[in-house]
Amino acid sequence: MSTTSPAPTTTAVPAFEAHDIVKHFDGVHALSGAHLSVREGEIHALLGENGAGKSTMVKVLTGIYAPDGGRILRNGEEVTFANVRVANRAGIVALYQELSIIPSISVAENIMLGERTPSRGGLVQWAALRSRAKEQLDRLNQKIPLKMLAGDLSPVQQTMVAFARALANDARVLILDEPTASLTDTEIKDLFTVLRSLRAQGVAIVYVSHRLEEVFELCDRLTIMRNGETMLTKDVADSNIDEVISTMVGRAAGDLYPDRGTATSTVALSVTGLDGRKVKDVTFTAHKGEVLGIGGLAGSGRSELLRILAGAQKHTAGTIAVGDVALPSSPGVARALDAGIALVPEERRSQGVILSASIRDNIALANIGAVSSAGLVSGGRISDITKRGMSDLQVKARSSRQPVGELSGGNQQKVVLAKMLARNPKVLLMDEPTRGIDVGTKAEIYRLIRALAATGTTVIAVSSELPELIGMSDRILIMHEGQISGEAMSAEADEEMLLAYCYGKTA
Amino acid sequence: MTTTNVPVQPRTSIGKFLVQGGTTIALLALIVFFFAMRPDVFLTFTNVRNILFQVSILAIVAGAQTLVMVVGDFDLSLAATSSLSGSAVASLMLGGMPMAPAILIGLVVGLLIGIGNGLLVAYLNLSAFVATLATMTSVIGLAYLVTQGTTLFNLPDGFNALGQGRLLNVPLPVYIAIAIAVVLWAVLRFTTTGRKWYAIGGNVEVSRLSGINVRRGRLMAFAAAGLISAVAGILLAARLGSGSAVQGSDNLLFSVAAVFLGMTVIKSGQANLVGTMVGVAIIGVMSNGLNILGVNSYVQQVVTGLIIIAAVTLSGLKTRER
Repeated sequence: MSTTSPAPTTTAVPAFEAHDIVKHFDGVHALSGAHLSVREGEIHALLGENGAGKSTMVKVLTGIYAPDGGRILRNGEEVTFANVRVANRAGIVALYQELSIIPSISVAENIMLGERTPSRGGLVQWAALRSRAKEQLDRLNQKIPLKMLAGDLSPVQQTMVAFARALANDARVLILDEPTASLTDTEIKDLFTVLRSLRAQGVAIVYVSHRLEEVFELCDRLTIMRNGETMLTKDVADSNIDEVISTMVGRAAGDLYPDRGTATSTVALSVTGLDGRKVKDVTFTAHKGEVLGIGGLAGSGRSELLRILAGAQKHTAGTIAVGDVALPSSPGVARALDAGIALVPEERRSQGVILSASIRDNIALANIGAVSSAGLVSGGRISDITKRGMSDLQVKARSSRQPVGELSGGNQQKVVLAKMLARNPKVLLMDEPTRGIDVGTKAEIYRLIRALAATGTTVIAVSSELPELIGMSDRILIMHEGQISGEAMSAEADEEMLLAYCYGKTA
Repeated sequence: MTTTNVPVQPRTSIGKFLVQGGTTIALLALIVFFFAMRPDVFLTFTNVRNILFQVSILAIVAGAQTLVMVVGDFDLSLAATSSLSGSAVASLMLGGMPMAPAILIGLVVGLLIGIGNGLLVAYLNLSAFVATLATMTSVIGLAYLVTQGTTLFNLPDGFNALGQGRLLNVPLPVYIAIAIAVVLWAVLRFTTTGRKWYAIGGNVEVSRLSGINVRRGRLMAFAAAGLISAVAGILLAARLGSGSAVQGSDNLLFSVAAVFLGMTVIKSGQANLVGTMVGVAIIGVMSNGLNILGVNSYVQQVVTGLIIIAAVTLSGLKTRER
């Protein structure tokens, strides 16, 4: 596991430091005594559960929030960032989960976005613009067509474009928030190569991630936050996953995945000859009480399959049946829900919850029929299902009237779950159930999935993470180019074999 | 009153929700200002009644606009629709049709235009701006055709009484506007349709994946708005005792302005009925107060625009602080 090369630490003064940072919102402390110190030419992991204060810290470091206390130093000199632009000019650039590219303009323009556009007499000098954009891509060793629309790129290419822009803006401290969240394993490898070359060029990189395996593979040092405080900073080589998890959670790490063994032999869902845009002739069954994992590379059709099952996308051929009851050919979400199929979508923030609406309104959304009679909504009944959902799933919030956008990622995901579980689904579809969620909450979600299965629900979960797929499922299907390329019982599966299926090698 | 330490569950009561925004305070400030300037006139029964009478039609159109803006769209054709409905009713009655069927046809005209807008926006995926701009243009043309470019006078007394009659010394349109506002408020707050509209306005994709028929919801909002603006147009014709293609055209911009002002009243910044009515009141009080002070009506229009900018800017500052 220790492929970590030692960081070339030549400078005595850290490139970027923050000391005793305090930040509160409405009297609630988000940060109380947070520290971070990053050297030139190192990749520094910033770890912590959701709600530990990582995002707030990043926002303070990049001038989005003004801290209520503490000092920020750049090359040993105290600085204050009035806003993001000032931070950018000082060489501090953050790249967020929701990629900061503009899909409707070209790659070259995206890269040169923060720069002066080369122009003559008000006309864009395209050749100059492209050649300067190309220089940045060359530094990253990337070949991406400069004239292409950024929105047509794959996620990893979009990430690269965002990097190139940061470099074009002379970034010396790069803060990455979950950069691998939407990438597949090979894409992650490419990303790491690029990050290592940036490190060799002396860039300081702060790497925020929930994927600890990545941290141990890539990073030089790590800083762990808990409850708004920095708990520890040390060399990755001197630490281990158990220590990291127990420091993050504040207690010893229990087993991440609960026991299996709730599957029965009663068929709950049968799918025959399903065709969609990418999905081709998919046939499988899922059983009562079973957790069925679906893997595959991004673009292999796994998300589309879930969307078709949930009625969110039409299929061109094939049948879907819940128990003995066949669904109509294009059921639509409402009918699929009535038939007992519920989807927890991949993009929580844009597909799962209305961020500006309260927890109760979000939960009511998928249950309007159940909380109303004769067209009138009953506030009492909304309160009932909300209360039940929030206590069953242990949603942490000030009140059920708090806007979902103010909750941590894990709690937002619980709201999506609560919303769908209130429908008592027979088949629960989950697309990337733990994306962007901290380790502690991940374990909770796995336990929940298993608890649901134990009550007879069938859970079908798509995941890009092979360990997760193996850990949480009873059985795994792997998709490749729209078809099922392999099937395995989790107890007998290993990552190598699943990866082979992912690339289309059939058993 | 005995004090208890039981924490009060935060509820969005109308009272609290009005106090949250500076917009309501602005309304109160305007009232105090005009009262201080002309204590002999401004808050007399006659003048308050005047204000209410003046804003009643605008209140109805703004209520319709609120529905569409709750679903996250907006409708530029509402004022034109109301003109067409009023003109159509006037023209039919002058042609000898009895009042009741004429009004019914006027309402159906509004409903059909609303459905047309809804089909264009929700089913053909045109942007609301383009679709309703186009229907507005055609609808104004239709209104000119119906009135042959003139103003239609000599409407039956029974019809005019709808807009000019009084009950307990208060004009009928005031009651009708209040009734419509209360119904719309209840629809938005208590019915499944209203909650679905808010959900769609919050996030279309989330709503769709939650099993809500987004297209039907948007269509219904436009259809309801068309119908309600027809009511406004017919009332306006009755109040003026005439029908023309241009009457009530001010209501387009003022209705959008009222909804925008209303959105600043609540923290979440959504379109909402109570807020819209506060917006309508601000516009009404402004125009009446400036009239009393003898300010030129063109100046009034300039000031109204400035007030909207000020209100929206202030509420923007409030949200940015977080």
